[in-house]
Amino acid sequence: MTTSPPVLSFEGVTKVFHQGDVEVRALRGLDLVVHPGELTAIVGPSGSGKSTALHLAGALDVPTTGTVRVDGVDLATLTARERAALRRDRIGFVFQSYNLVPVMSAHENAASVLALQGVPEAEQRTRVASLLEELGIGDLADRRPDQLSGGQQQRVAIARAVAARPAVVLGDEPTANVDSATAERLLDLIRSLNERHGTTFLLSTHDERVMKRVRRVVTLVDGKVASDETVGG
Amino acid sequence: MTLLRIAWRNVWRNSRRSLVTIAAMAFALWTTILYSGLVQGYLDSMEGDVLDLEVGDLQIHPEAWDDEPGLSTVIEDPAALVAALEEAGLTATVRLLSGGLAASDEASAGVVLRGLDPVADARALKLPERLGEGRWLAADAPKGVVIGRRLARALGVGLGDELVVLSQAADGSVANDLFAVRGILGPVSEGTDRAAIFLLDTTFRELFVLPRGAHEIIVRRPADLPLDEAAARARTAAGPAVVQTWRELLPTIATMLDSSRSVMVFVFLIIYLAIGILVLNAVLMAVFERVRELGVMKALGMGPWAVLALIVTETAIQTVLAIAVGTLLAAPFAWYLTVHGINVGALGGTAVMGLAMAEVWTGSYDLQNLTTAVVLLLVIVAFATLIPAIRAARLRPIDAMRYQ
Ligand SMILES: Nc1ncnc2c1ncn2[C@@H]1O[C@H](COP(=O)(O)OP(=O)(O)O)[C@@H](O)[C@H]1O
Ligand SMILES: [Mg+2]
Repeated sequence: MTTSPPVLSFEGVTKVFHQGDVEVRALRGLDLVVHPGELTAIVGPSGSGKSTALHLAGALDVPTTGTVRVDGVDLATLTARERAALRRDRIGFVFQSYNLVPVMSAHENAASVLALQGVPEAEQRTRVASLLEELGIGDLADRRPDQLSGGQQQRVAIARAVAARPAVVLGDEPTANVDSATAERLLDLIRSLNERHGTTFLLSTHDERVMKRVRRVVTLVDGKVASDETVGG
Repeated sequence: MTLLRIAWRNVWRNSRRSLVTIAAMAFALWTTILYSGLVQGYLDSMEGDVLDLEVGDLQIHPEAWDDEPGLSTVIEDPAALVAALEEAGLTATVRLLSGGLAASDEASAGVVLRGLDPVADARALKLPERLGEGRWLAADAPKGVVIGRRLARALGVGLGDELVVLSQAADGSVANDLFAVRGILGPVSEGTDRAAIFLLDTTFRELFVLPRGAHEIIVRRPADLPLDEAAARARTAAGPAVVQTWRELLPTIATMLDSSRSVMVFVFLIIYLAIGILVLNAVLMAVFERVRELGVMKALGMGPWAVLALIVTETAIQTVLAIAVGTLLAAPFAWYLTVHGINVGALGGTAVMGLAMAEVWTGSYDLQNLTTAVVLLLVIVAFATLIPAIRAARLRPIDAMRYQ
């Protein structure tokens, strides 16, 4: 087993939403530890709390009770500004609907987190160019998102998420909007990034194909871990 | 740098909306620049007419003038007073005044006779420049008079025609003589147009048997000397004689000129309020349209200040373009209005509160027209931008990304 400290941990995390008078308990005591280099899928029926867990991991929301740590830092101790800096420097996001910025080229989108970090433009260029090459979209660098297919856009989004070498890349159903052939190719890319660079991924999905390509599958039911298995692959 | 580039592209995302916003701001600038200069020019010329043609900056009258104005109520030694005023850095001209009756072959009318020395008078006032036809008074034409244009019409006289003046002299005798119309004035003021007869001071003294003294001294000040300061100096020189500023002499006109400027400011506020609402709406739409996108950028780690800076830069780009367009478009019009003015034709000469309007309105433009308009625009745009920009900066990424 691995001995390095976890990049992400949930300890007894609950999250309660209030919708008018109704209390929705999205997470009911989630315990989960993610170590560097892992490629993990969170699966579970719709409404089981997958998105909520990823939002908490991404410092986009705060738990009702319990502790979420990224790189050992308790997110509850951070101010909004510090959480923004943590997202920029330590976390990568891949969204279900790509969410590229329409006025920026593929290259600029992929480089946007580096730009936010203040990395010099020349360095952004070299780093992003090789990454786009590796993801097979090197020749599309100057295109705007509306000139790219869904799969191509999602590759740009993956490039944006990993370009700044975050501690963990979070993906909420990253393959839900593409056809199955494209989904397979995206998963191959994620897998190869994980193998070659040791990038840590935590993906939510209810896609069987995803489960076949990851190394660990965590199943959520009613906001709690129902099973946690290391799988082949 | 990157911020500017992205902001520039965002401006042209909805190019129609941006162009409308830019055009509206440019139009507001264009209007305010030209309108303010035209009003300024109009007011300056009104004020200039009042001061340069009629009233001067200050007037000095005999102590008893208010109670019993009349031929024998005089400033005893006007020459000495004029010398003292000149000593104090002021310019002055002496006027002799009397009422009377003028008659032509056809008609007669009540008149005000004004005696003056054409050389001294021309240094203080610009009446000769307002001559409609004929020539101004001259020492070698003692029986030549210059009369108001409506008086000429009422009496049915033209250049060279004769008219009889009838009045009472200082010694109680009948003052009457025959004069020739040497000049007819253009529009000056209601009073002058209807009733004024200008004649040489020497002729006046003979006609009215008034060897000494004067009824009125009109005083001008250098442009850089404040009115109050000029009045103070004149009071020191005038002794018991009464000094009044033009504002004291014509309070209604002074108030009207001041309030015209306030009305102008009020009109501007309305124009800019409308522009402010339009800009506010445009920026709100620009923010709401991409709440999700802004949420994503914040999720990726863009801080609130950077979001604020982005939205503000987008409006700033449009404002800078509007200032450039508005100013460039206003410049040739301002030049035209300054050089040629607007010919109001038939309206010219119409009296507004006793003042005759000039036939050609010219604009009066300086850098202040531009800076006032630009500063107003910037203040309004800043308000209209900050409200939506702050909302954008404070978006919670998780809420924003859920927003479709
Ligand atoms: N902002 C919210 N307000 C109210 N209820 C919410 C909110 N977000 C999620 N929920 C509820 O929390 C539960 C878990 O949702 P979610 O984490 O999105 O599940 P999953 O991603 O596994 O489908 C669901 O019942 C959902 O309706
Ligand atoms: Mg979900």
